[in-house]
Amino acid sequence: MPILRSIGTSIARRLVLAGLASFALLGCLGQASVAQTRFVFANESDYDTMDPHAAFDVGRIAVRLNVYDGLMRWQSNPAKLEPWIAESHAISKDGLTYTFKMRKGVKFHDGSEVKAADVVYSLERILALGKGAASLFKTMIDPGKAKAIDDYTVEFTLKKPSAIFLAIVPEIHIVNAAQVKKNEANNDWGAAWLSKNAAGSGAYKLTQFDPAIGFVAARNADHFKGWGPKFIDEIEFRGVKDTNTRVLGLMKGDFNGIGGYLQTDQLKRIEESGKAKVLEAESMRVMMMQFNTTRAPLNDPDVRRALNQAFDYDGFNKNILGGQVERNPTPLPNTIWGNPKDVKGYVFDIEKGKAGLAKASAKVDRPLEIHFLTGFAQSEQAAQLFQNGLQKMGIQSKVVGTPWPTIVERFGKPETTPDISIYWISTYYADPHNWIGEMFHSSGAGTFKNAHHYKNPKVDELLDKAVQATDQAERAKFYEEAVRIVVDDAPGLWIYNTKWYGPYSKNLAGIVFCPIGNAQEMRTAYYE
Amino acid sequence: MRILALIAKRLFWFVPTAAGLIAVVFFISRVIPSDPVALIAGETASRAQIEALRVKLGLDRPLPIQLADYYRQLLKGDLGTSLFTTRPVADDLLARLPATIELTIAAMLIAVLFGIPLGVVSATRRNSGIDHGLRIASVAGLAIASFWLALILQLLFAMKLGVLPLQGRISGFPPRPVTGFMTIDALIAGRPDRLWSALAHLALPAITLAVPALATIVRFTRAGVLDTLGRPFVDYQRATGIPQALIVWKYVLRNALTSTVTQIGLLFGILLAGAVVIETVFQWPGIGTYAFESILHSDYAAVMGFTVYAGGIFMLVNLLVDIVHGLIDPRGGTV
Repeated sequence: MPILRSIGTSIARRLVLAGLASFALLGCLGQASVAQTRFVFANESDYDTMDPHAAFDVGRIAVRLNVYDGLMRWQSNPAKLEPWIAESHAISKDGLTYTFKMRKGVKFHDGSEVKAADVVYSLERILALGKGAASLFKTMIDPGKAKAIDDYTVEFTLKKPSAIFLAIVPEIHIVNAAQVKKNEANNDWGAAWLSKNAAGSGAYKLTQFDPAIGFVAARNADHFKGWGPKFIDEIEFRGVKDTNTRVLGLMKGDFNGIGGYLQTDQLKRIEESGKAKVLEAESMRVMMMQFNTTRAPLNDPDVRRALNQAFDYDGFNKNILGGQVERNPTPLPNTIWGNPKDVKGYVFDIEKGKAGLAKASAKVDRPLEIHFLTGFAQSEQAAQLFQNGLQKMGIQSKVVGTPWPTIVERFGKPETTPDISIYWISTYYADPHNWIGEMFHSSGAGTFKNAHHYKNPKVDELLDKAVQATDQAERAKFYEEAVRIVVDDAPGLWIYNTKWYGPYSKNLAGIVFCPIGNAQEMRTAYYE
Repeated sequence: MRILALIAKRLFWFVPTAAGLIAVVFFISRVIPSDPVALIAGETASRAQIEALRVKLGLDRPLPIQLADYYRQLLKGDLGTSLFTTRPVADDLLARLPATIELTIAAMLIAVLFGIPLGVVSATRRNSGIDHGLRIASVAGLAIASFWLALILQLLFAMKLGVLPLQGRISGFPPRPVTGFMTIDALIAGRPDRLWSALAHLALPAITLAVPALATIVRFTRAGVLDTLGRPFVDYQRATGIPQALIVWKYVLRNALTSTVTQIGLLFGILLAGAVVIETVFQWPGIGTYAFESILHSDYAAVMGFTVYAGGIFMLVNLLVDIVHGLIDPRGGTV
């Protein structure tokens, strides 16, 4: 036995020591190093596709903003629509025809020139694929209604006047038609090829893509916008799902920027580490609750108003979220036009709510179901706080976590839509229609933005007029009136407007935040 | 010949087993209330637009017809196309498979190389301090939450000591894959720096993944060795004067390993099916997170593709375990 013991312990000891020593040695040799002109961003979402027409989200926007260009682009904060590859545009008096004059000499990454035919092909491709922004375009324009008048003039003829067409023109990310056509297979509009390759003209050229990791792009020195004296040579965007890994990676120097939708303690941790900085800006992402207005008791506006008084807005925004958000009393973000500044919204007042419930014709005689988005801690916290307020008001409720794909399915029909759903509406384009238009027009009932199934002919009329009018001041009046009616009718409960936080390396400068894009356009960034 | 017969028998049974597995997963993935078409169509899509896209994708057809189509396409070797990435599922799986296999092999090497000797030491020093310590450690190893262990290892080795990388498979963006195995690709490229980097990046996730497997192997080896040590042939060998170390490490261990090998096989199969938590924390682009995301999005073709892969892996691993059993125990047993 002693021999055995000695062999056993000796082997074990040697193995343990050898293992530890080799790992330590390997670790020293394997330290990550990032060059000064390289930028690595850790994103919350994966870059599962490089196709600019397959997505219309914030999560994968870096692909579209850095590798591709459009006729127009949203810039700065508050977001302003600026000409990009277009030099100018004209709208016909009847509001049906939009004509864009394009810059000459803008080059795709393969050296060929960006021409009107490429814009036409890009729009046709969006409509044919039916993904991303296609659903919005389809309500305004039919296939075959974009024309190349000459090489540098493109014309769009709409089905009916739409003031928001211009706002979504930036989503026509121009692809190199000849290059994509060469790679089409089975009439797929090059979908399989473009999902992992690029055919753009953007400020950065795709050099590597791995769907399991992300993408790398090198500076396009010939980009038509030109470059400042300082810039970043190579950008890398990675999907990093785990929040803690993103934060530790930034502090360690593996990443130079990370997705900013972080909890207060993580932001504090970054700032206190002294190894990174956190930029801040008011954004346009509204957190809200949507009430299913088709079922009793939530079909009664009095009950809905009372419910609006059961949520502790200040407790949530200031205490739970540490003041990192701004109270937003209407469905429109505070910072956008068309939002009446005198509407103060509802306040947390249990007694007033009880009084409102007493005079309501519908009685709350069943527990209400509050659905939050699984995996989104804030929506769960809001659901629990609301449950507490309802309890004090004498209303029973049940808090249920639902994954995003499931809740989208449930919104499809009024009978399957939850009583109350808590989530956010982000900025896809900076026009009030992005929020109130899509959330409260009855034609949008059952979509992700509209789980209220709200029907109010007066609101429909105002929203229709607001889309058809071309003058912004006139449009603002329609939206303001619609907001007043909706807030009074209380088909939802509006909590806050998100502040954007940008955790970055200390020496990174030139980051420009825009609510559409979350500061992920890297053309202006550089190291100090 | 016996082994060939076993392989033929297993392959024969694989077809109905896989068909049944595919049918079950197919129906489960479609009856759960989730709508991938609404997700693809985008947040602004109207119900009419969503339904039109559903028709275009062929997802409006009766489920048995969709299943029959899937079987047909599978027979042609086609796993289908992902609804979300628009790429062939086989391509997406193959892109992630090397990462999972590399991590699994590293974890299993750690678990086996440390687990079996420690199990033997624990058994031969029964009820000693070392044995108690190893038993407590192995129970802890099984009970410990992977995400917690991963976090602690990250904080200690990557952040505090700074000796190991925090996340990823290699420093910087991975070079274009040849085989997809970072270590092998580095050797092919003749780049020792990349090899060290790949091995260093493997260390923490592999250790985290190895801990529960190691604990299992220690426990099973200990039990097997203790059982075998009590058998008459060991007394006979002792009586003939064969050194104790030789008895234990050559004769006892071989007889004691049957159940350990079964466990190693099962663990290997489970790990090859992906480890979502570890892949997420260490940003390891493996098959687990792909399957997890696919399930979350109801990306039907991707979920089915993963099912076929995982089913195949389990069948293969079981077959290998049976073959190894046959080699360890020539008397026949399961073979």
